[in-house]
Amino acid sequence: MSSENGRAALTEQKYQLLKSNFFKKGVLIGGLSGLLYGVYSAFLTLGMARGVWADWYGANTAGLSAFVIAYLLSALGTSINDAVSGVWSLLQAAIKGKLKDFARTMRTKPGWIMVLAALFGGPIANTAYVIGLQMAGSLAAPISALCVALGAILGRVLYKQKLTPRMIGGIVLCFVATVMIGGNALADVNPQAALGCAISFIAALGWGIEGCVAGYGTSMIDYEIGITIRQCTSGIVNTLVVVPLFAILAGNIGLAPHLLGQAWTSAPAMIFFLISGFCAMLTYSFWYKGNAMCGAALGMALNGTYSFFTPLCCWILLGLICQEPGWALTALEWVGAIVMFFGILLIALNPLTLFKKKGQKTAASGAAA
Amino acid sequence: MKPLNYAILKYFTKVDKASAKDVVEALKPEYGSFRALNEKAVLEALLTGVENGLLEEAGHTLDENNNVVIYFHAPKSGVDTINSYIKD
Repeated sequence: MSSENGRAALTEQKYQLLKSNFFKKGVLIGGLSGLLYGVYSAFLTLGMARGVWADWYGANTAGLSAFVIAYLLSALGTSINDAVSGVWSLLQAAIKGKLKDFARTMRTKPGWIMVLAALFGGPIANTAYVIGLQMAGSLAAPISALCVALGAILGRVLYKQKLTPRMIGGIVLCFVATVMIGGNALADVNPQAALGCAISFIAALGWGIEGCVAGYGTSMIDYEIGITIRQCTSGIVNTLVVVPLFAILAGNIGLAPHLLGQAWTSAPAMIFFLISGFCAMLTYSFWYKGNAMCGAALGMALNGTYSFFTPLCCWILLGLICQEPGWALTALEWVGAIVMFFGILLIALNPLTLFKKKGQKTAASGAAA
Repeated sequence: MKPLNYAILKYFTKVDKASAKDVVEALKPEYGSFRALNEKAVLEALLTGVENGLLEEAGHTLDENNNVVIYFHAPKSGVDTINSYIKD
């Protein structure tokens, strides 16, 4: 009888350990997606400051208009990054023997849903964010960070995922932290700000839809295949649709192939685009996998740590290593990171269970004494 | 031939319950050459399916090597969802 009890206890112990390891792995992957987003952003920023980009954003001997510099170059940077990332994803799929599964997935409904999610989160959200940033200044950052809350709500509505009042409290804390890290956002209000905020909200909605739908899709599609679909879709649509669209709005469609050609052949910049594209592949695939393993609410919040990791990585890479001024983090950004940590903790764990466990341990040690 | 992850989920529309090991054994004839067809990766895919409501756990036990074995089952809603997204 005692041997049976011992085996039952061992079974339970091993089962709980396995489940706990799965949860911890999901949290680690989700957290890594936030960190790698910061690394990718820092290298993308660095790439867009080297080679031909240094002239465009600096002396501007090419004579680009303010519109082209504000909008077209941002879209161009994203298109190159995502296209490079798509190539990295294809290479990874080929090395891991998943290329045929990628082609098979593209012939199915979940594959096309993934394409749709990629369109929302890639070209649509990125373009909206760039426009929002131009019109509403740094207000665009906290507005777009609403994607965490929107993703969690969509996960609840579409896929019946868990969303308790405690988790909502954690999401609110994360949002407050993002506003703190965003800095003096309210100081940037201008007459165009309201429209800029509305457009930034489209970005939040796009990323919320992408995180929630693609996260769910990753329960059916291998996450490395999912990210190949995402980056190829985004790279192709950004290059063939978004960049030419901004060129048309700038009054010269010929700018699109001209600038694309110059950017793709600018070796000093492309070295960094190769790194940013690789990190983008990792961050987005971890985002999808983290959302699938933890649910949209926790997965989105873990990925949302990018709002701290991005300035942190920019400070390390551009400020400390490249010795460029203006990248140091403020005290408020550090405080924001701590608030965000507690927000994520609140989404992931019920603090009451921690106190209960502590109480049980105290009682047990008291009894033993 | 379906993508491996589809085949894993689709298997649960045809059996009452199965473990990761059962899935690997069942899919070996068709997917034996796939590197991702191993117990660890399949278990992770199944636990992810549970997290997203496609599957449910149907008990656990220890095998002869004292490794824990979890059994999974697709509820009716899960079967309907899998069948609506993944056609035969």
